[in-house]
Amino acid sequence: MQNHDTPTIALDGVTKRFGDECAVDDITLAVNHGELCVLVGTSGCGKSTTLRMINRLIEHSDGQIRIEGQQIRSFDPDQLRRRIGYAIQSTGLFPHWSVSRNIGLVPRLLKWPPDRIAARVSELMAMLDLDPETFSDKYPAQLSGGQAQRVGVARALAADPDVLLMDEPFGALDPITRESLQDELLHLQGQLKKTIVFVTHDMDEALKLADRIVVMRAGHIVQQGKPADLLARPADSFVESLLGGRDLGLKHASLVPVAMRMSALNGECLPDDESVLDTDSLRDALSVMLWRDTFRLLVRDVNGNPIGILHWRDAIRGDDA
Amino acid sequence: MSVRRSNMRLILWGLMLTAAVLVIPHLDVLFRLWLPDAREVIYRRDSFVSLLGNHLAIVTAAGLIATLLGVGAGIAVTRHWGKDFLPLVAQLASIGQTFPPVAVLALSVPALGFGTLPTIIALVLYGLLPIVRNTLAGLQGIDDDVMEAARGMGMSSLQRLWQVELPLSSDIILAGIRTSVTINIATAAIGSTIGAKTLGDPLIAGIVNGNGAYVIQGAIVIALLALCVDSLFERIGCALPSYDQGRI
Ligand SMILES: Nc1ncnc2c1ncn2[C@@H]1O[C@H](COP(=O)(O)OP(=O)(O)OP(=O)(O)O)[C@@H](O)[C@H]1O
Ligand SMILES: [Mg+2]
Repeated sequence: MQNHDTPTIALDGVTKRFGDECAVDDITLAVNHGELCVLVGTSGCGKSTTLRMINRLIEHSDGQIRIEGQQIRSFDPDQLRRRIGYAIQSTGLFPHWSVSRNIGLVPRLLKWPPDRIAARVSELMAMLDLDPETFSDKYPAQLSGGQAQRVGVARALAADPDVLLMDEPFGALDPITRESLQDELLHLQGQLKKTIVFVTHDMDEALKLADRIVVMRAGHIVQQGKPADLLARPADSFVESLLGGRDLGLKHASLVPVAMRMSALNGECLPDDESVLDTDSLRDALSVMLWRDTFRLLVRDVNGNPIGILHWRDAIRGDDA
Repeated sequence: MSVRRSNMRLILWGLMLTAAVLVIPHLDVLFRLWLPDAREVIYRRDSFVSLLGNHLAIVTAAGLIATLLGVGAGIAVTRHWGKDFLPLVAQLASIGQTFPPVAVLALSVPALGFGTLPTIIALVLYGLLPIVRNTLAGLQGIDDDVMEAARGMGMSSLQRLWQVELPLSSDIILAGIRTSVTINIATAAIGSTIGAKTLGDPLIAGIVNGNGAYVIQGAIVIALLALCVDSLFERIGCALPSYDQGRI
């Protein structure tokens, strides 16, 4: 087991120059075990470069990168990459390999016995909601975008790496598929407790997934912290506008569950369709209020039992931010 | 084209070729009807079977050597350590194609002399070009994301080459070899002018002696051989990894 003082991934004064251009400039970042760290920033600010330096697809020019306390330069690059899961937006699945062969790639590189690989591949396909019967023998060209992304994530997880690097893995998907994959990732992360560095352009995705958000601009880290802290105290107008500008209030509301603001039922009778779940966010609740033109909503638990009431006054008060 | 149809085609042309080399020597009567005054109407200086064997051996040898060299060169200049030579090789491959094959043979005589070996060397040189060109096109045409993933998953450079790059470019490389061999089947016939024993012999003899029957006999066998080899390549193409899935 690892030492709890050592971050799983540590970047210390890391710089990357392409010729004269400085793509990443003196970045210091520590990602702890089990943490999901999301890099955000405008296009070209160095997110992908940062990610790809961690598995040595790009060699850093200066500074130090450590994984579990060891310099990444002390590893053979291929060995290092087999220990680190990597998923990219375009999936990069091998078009001439079946889905199951694609997923089993890294275990095969690690020379696992064939039956163990087969078992692991089925396990992953089940985990990512890909029916093995249907998908095992399909080729990437026969998959939808969402299915291909799942296969890409399954391949990244195949050898059970502690560290996972994901570069806009859900970038090219429609909002619904995207959300379901995000939910699955959160669900998986709840069980697997990987250390994940995740790049995205989508601020809602970042707020939803992140334990910690790192805001980058022109190769620098401008601010990092918990999603709620960033929303409450953006360091400057850049961070503020990146986080959503005038949407900041709603973004913040999306982080607060209804359960935190509801009050007890006092025998009031509210219409059935004016209800939300206690796990829904305040943002959802406010949207329902706007839509239904009402000040109060019934709150139910997952089993559908009424457990409380949400007043709009409680919803918009900003104390427990 | 389906595997079944290309099998059928290969078998058909194979049978026709076999039939041609075996039957032509016995068609005296037929060719007599056409050229009643000629001294001889069947080319008999060498048997068609042995000419075909020789021709095939020369083309195969040249094809194998050209494939090894051409694919090897294409791979080398697309590696990290060989990329300095990429522009040079790419340019040679495209300029070389504009040379007519006859000129290649004509130029090889002063340099290499007469006979089978100079013919093979000339064929190798000429056959290299389409193979190099297609190998480069195939390897460079692979999706960058696929290569990025292959590297990111921790495949070594050799594993990437064997398991990703070559399979994904195999159809284009094969097309290059097919072009090269097809051209060389024709070019090898011209090789008989510089002293190699090939199916070009009856053609040349026919032209020199004004004997149309010789020309026809040689031409038929060469054409059937070309069709045979072409369908063989088509059949091989069906077995490639990129055949089913297509490139993304
Ligand atoms: N291989 C390379 N050679 C030269 N410059 C590069 C290379 N890779 C990236 N850069 C430059 O580094 C900078 C950062 O690129 P990077 O890909 O990290 O941006 P990003 O934050 O991931 O952007 P996006 O959100 O558009 O993906 C860019 O200015 C880019 O042009
Ligand atoms: Mg990027």
